[in-house]
Parts: sequence; C-alpha cells; structure tokens
Amino acid sequence: LIMALVHKLLNGVYILRKCQMPSAASCLFLGPHSADYCSSSLQKPAAAPGKAGSPQRKTERDLQGHHQKEVDLDITSPEEMPEVSFDKAIRDEIKDHFRRLKDEFVSHWIGPQGRPLHEVLLEQAKVVWQFRGKEDLDKWIVTSDKTIGGRSEVFLKMGKNNQSALLYGNLSSEAPQDGESSRSGYCGMVSRIPRGAFERKKSYDWSQFNTLYLRVRGDGRPWMVNIREDTDIVQRKNQMYSYFMFTRGGPYWQEVKIPFSKFFFSNQGRIRDTQFQLLLDKISSIGFTLADKVDGPFFLEIDFIGVFTDPAHTEEYAYENSPDLNP
Amino acid sequence: MNPLALSLILTTLLAGTLITMMSSHWLTAWMGLEMNMLTMIPILMKTTNPRSTEAATKYFMTQAMASMMLMMALTINLMYSGQWSITKMTNPVASNMALMALMTKLGSAPFHFWVPEVTQGVELTPGMILLTWQKLAPLSLLYQMATYTNTNLIYLSGLLSILIGGWGGLNQTQLRKILAYSSISHMGWMLIILPFNPTLTLLNLTIYIMLTLSIFMILTNTFTTSMSSLTLMWNKTPAMTIMLMTTLLSLGGLPPLSGFMPKWLMIHELTKNNSIIMPLTMAIMALLNMYFYMRLIYYSSLTILPSTNNMKMTWRFTNTKHTMTLPTLITLSNMLLPLTPMISMLE
Repeated sequence: LIMALVHKLLNGVYILRKCQMPSAASCLFLGPHSADYCSSSLQKPAAAPGKAGSPQRKTERDLQGHHQKEVDLDITSPEEMPEVSFDKAIRDEIKDHFRRLKDEFVSHWIGPQGRPLHEVLLEQAKVVWQFRGKEDLDKWIVTSDKTIGGRSEVFLKMGKNNQSALLYGNLSSEAPQDGESSRSGYCGMVSRIPRGAFERKKSYDWSQFNTLYLRVRGDGRPWMVNIREDTDIVQRKNQMYSYFMFTRGGPYWQEVKIPFSKFFFSNQGRIRDTQFQLLLDKISSIGFTLADKVDGPFFLEIDFIGVFTDPAHTEEYAYENSPDLNP
Repeated sequence: MNPLALSLILTTLLAGTLITMMSSHWLTAWMGLEMNMLTMIPILMKTTNPRSTEAATKYFMTQAMASMMLMMALTINLMYSGQWSITKMTNPVASNMALMALMTKLGSAPFHFWVPEVTQGVELTPGMILLTWQKLAPLSLLYQMATYTNTNLIYLSGLLSILIGGWGGLNQTQLRKILAYSSISHMGWMLIILPFNPTLTLLNLTIYIMLTLSIFMILTNTFTTSMSSLTLMWNKTPAMTIMLMTTLLSLGGLPPLSGFMPKWLMIHELTKNNSIIMPLTMAIMALLNMYFYMRLIYYSSLTILPSTNNMKMTWRFTNTKHTMTLPTLITLSNMLLPLTPMISMLE
C-alpha cells in the first residue's frame, strides 16, 4: 500500500481508468494487492489453441474469400479492457485496514483474543490450526533447501475430503554447488505470523495451556517441531524452541502430545549450552522441519494442531543450566 | 547475582535517584538519570533469558532516546538563558522538549509503548523497581519545572494516559501487563494535577508506590504472574488473597480505602480551579481501571473457578521470601483515608 502511494505521489498524474498501453514497470510498484486490478491488462487474452487457430484460418479464408476481417492483434480493443483503477485499489485497501482496526477495538472490549475473559480462563483445550479448506493452507509457508541451491522439493495441498493437509515432497541431501555449503537437505512448513490492522504483528497467548497436541499421520520419519516467540529485535528472529516428533507411519492417525516444558532452545540452528524455558504468552509461529539426511520422498498429513492443559503434567522445565554457564 | 555486584548496582541505583532529586543543576540531574538507567539494565536482566534481554534492550533504547532529547533541551535552554537552573526553564521549545523526554522516562502516553513490553518481559522484582523507584527521579524534575511547563501538553498527555491505561489493561491476562497499564493511568493523574498543585502529585506518587509495592510483594510471595494462577491463590494463601482484594480496590480509588484520598483531593483541587469537564472525564475514564481491577478481584477472591485436585492440593514449602514490610504496606494501603485532614494541614 505504501509503495502504491509513493508511486502515485511521484508520478503526479492519475493512471487512466482504462489505460491503453500499461507498462510492466508501473505495475511492479503497485504491489500484490493492486496487481489484481492491473495484471489482467498485461496478459494477452488467454485463448485456447483451437480458438487461436480459428481466427487465422478465418483470416486466410477471408483473404481468399470476399472481404477482410480484422487481424487479431496483441493489443486488445478498449472496449474489452478490464477496468484498472489505482484509486479504487488504495481505497479498498485502506477501508479494509480500518475495518480490521475497528474489529480489533470491538474484540478488545469483549475480552482477550476477542472472547469473554471467563471463557479464556476456563478453556482447557483449543484448536489453533486446522485444515478444512484452501484458506487454511494460506496460513502456512513451505520452504526447502532450494532457497540455498539444494534439490529438495516440498508441496502442501489439501488432503482427502478436505479434512487434512498433506505436506509432501522429495528430500535430497545433495549439497548445493556454491562453494560454501557442505550440507543440505531440509524441508519444512512454517505458519505465517498473524497480522492485524495495518499489518501489525500479533501473537498467540498460550499461557493457559501446557501441552501441544498434533493429530498427524506420517511415514515413519522423524520431524522437528519448532516454535518461535514474538520479538521486535532482529537478533531474536533466529531463536526458536524445538522438539522432536517421531511419526509411526501406517494407516492410523497419530496423536502427538508434546509438553511445552520439553522444548529446548536453539539460536541460529545450534542448540545452546544455556537453555531457557519457552514462555507461552507471545508465541509467533510454529513450524515442522524434516532434515533426517535420508534422501527420498516423504509425506506428513496433518489434521489439526491444538493446545491443551494436561493436569497430569506438572513439570515446569525439563532442562537445567550449569551454574558455571548461567550463574 | 554476585552479592558485591548486586550491592554496587543497588547503591548506584539509589545514588542516581538521590542525585537527581537533590540537584538544582540540570547537568547533575541528567547525570543521575543516566546512572539510574544504566544500573537498571543489569537489574532487568537478572534472569538471563531472551525475553528479559529484549526487555532490557527496549528499556535502554527508549530511555537513552529520552536522555538525548533531555540533553538537547538543556542545551537549547543554556543557549537562550545562559543558565542551568531546573526551576528557570523559560524557553518554551526547551521546556516542551524536556517535558516530552521526562514523560518518556515516566512512561506516560503517548510515549508509553515500552512500559507493558518491558514490565512483562522481566521478573516481578525488577518490574516492581521499574514501576515504583524509577518514577521518583523524573517526577522530582517535573515538580521543579512545573511552573514553566506547557499546560496543554500536560493535560493532553495526562488524559491520554488515563484513557490508554484504562483501555489497554482491559483484556490482559498477564498480571505484570495489568500493573504496567495501571502505572500509565496513575501517571496521567499525577501529570494533570501538576500545574495546579504539585504537592498533590507527590501525594499521589507516594500512595501509588505504597499500593504497587504491596501488590507486587503479594504476587512475588505467591509466585503469581497470570490470571489463571491468581484463581488458585485462595487455596495457598487465603489471607493474602483477601488483602490483594482490598489493595486492588484501593488502587482503583474506592473509598474508604487509601487510594481514594489522592483522587478525591485532586478532583477537589481541579473543581476549585473551575475545571469541571476535565475531572469528570478523568473520573469516568478511571472506571475502566476499576473494571479490570474488579475482574481480578472477582476471579481471585469472590469466585472459585473449577480446577482439578492436583492444582488445589500442592506441596506447601516453607516460604523463603521475606515479608517483613508487607503487613505495614498493606495496612497503609488500606487505612490511610482518615488521615486526610492531616495532609491538607501540611499544605
């Protein structure tokens, strides 16, 4: 939105409602939201092969025949151009953000997380992520070592009957040929950080709960569950709390319960000597990583991810620090 | 922490505040504020977990920025008036800048954003020091420069603080954040009365510190940091739960408890000076604070939430936390209202 506004100010002119020759450069500035409004104008009218053939054949026939028809050019006629409205895009975006801000105010009045306080205090189990539709998949990002030049592939799609999500792909531990990476081979998915009005970061408050609950169906591979805390400091973006999840394979669903006290701390991918307890009041995201050095295909089917209070679990923290390291 | 290091840090903290409170020269006052800020960093990072490190970093950034702004204000004041006296800050640009810097140090709106984050990120004891002791030095400077401050800016900041303190604390489940927003709200009350009667600011500060210390000590004794653990406090320490209830009511300004005294005197002072709308607005916005204090009281003392047996029947260890000042503080927090005529006499 900000880039769009800057572009508009710099240009000083309004982009015409029905621009005849939109340039690709101007659309680069408009950002993803406005792209919906102008991208169609960049595309040639998507014509099926049969259709593409027929005007030509018709033209040939017409040339041969009696009168000439118009040749199908790349430039579409003004009447067929979709309406491109830069102002409308900005207006809609701003309205959307203010609507979300108003919703935040209302939910703030109602109580924590938009629910009455007694509900939040009495709650003992909560489903945080579930996979019942395509919109649930949009809350996740998949990543693999392709970003550093590796050869692993990972995909995420809805499972059967839209009752689960299937994370599948191919793990390859072949190191990228960039001269500096000697190891490779990871795939994973991370939840997107929840955003409020004006793209402000929000976080989850799981301080009522003490255990993570996952209903998954895997292929026997060991996965790592990673939780990140919300932070404003860039150095803490590499810190996370992890634990292992061993999938059984087989046709039956598996219920994995991991107490939050078991998560160990790591910074920049290395487990640190000084360990810290995972504080549950500002959780930013959860992720699953596969990096078991076994090349080949993999899959993980996830039904839902939730948190609950296990009254039998009274451990506060599973690890202790050496007094030399952490006096 | 190493006892020698701890004693050095606490001594420096004490010295920094006393230097600022006793100085009439801006440079020594600024020096005291810097000493305060620097010694507060290791106190906030007493437990070296990443969250407290982040809280200490945020504290350092905001306080350092405020100190820089204050130094610029002093320099402008020196340029225009040629003197360093705190009570004679006549240049409006300098006094406004110094006012904003001190408001940042106090954590009053619209410079309040660091208070809930830092208070939530640290343990209870450093949080207690942050919300009580760290208010003394900036308020002493504001007390001295009260006559030359921009009253519009003070009223705006005060009203915003009361509103934001009340609104922000509404949907919190973490007790430290609730006390942080309570602090923001009380700073608003203290700021608004400053141009009218600075003595009432000091009275409000004294009563606020007593109340906040009582609450923090109760929470430290019972290891309570969130509302869900507050609901189980009745089982461990029923007497302290009752005392928490009365102290919270006092913090909300309910008669016949001590917390009503500063609010009553401030509203009286404001109405004496023909200001009706402002105290009315302040009193209405204070109801937001009262609402979330009442919710805390409701869930801790007045109702019993469902819980399992192993949460109720916990092992009772000998309490190693010292509570020698707590009974005195609780008594003072609840029973000072009948002494109000004596305080009027002191003015």
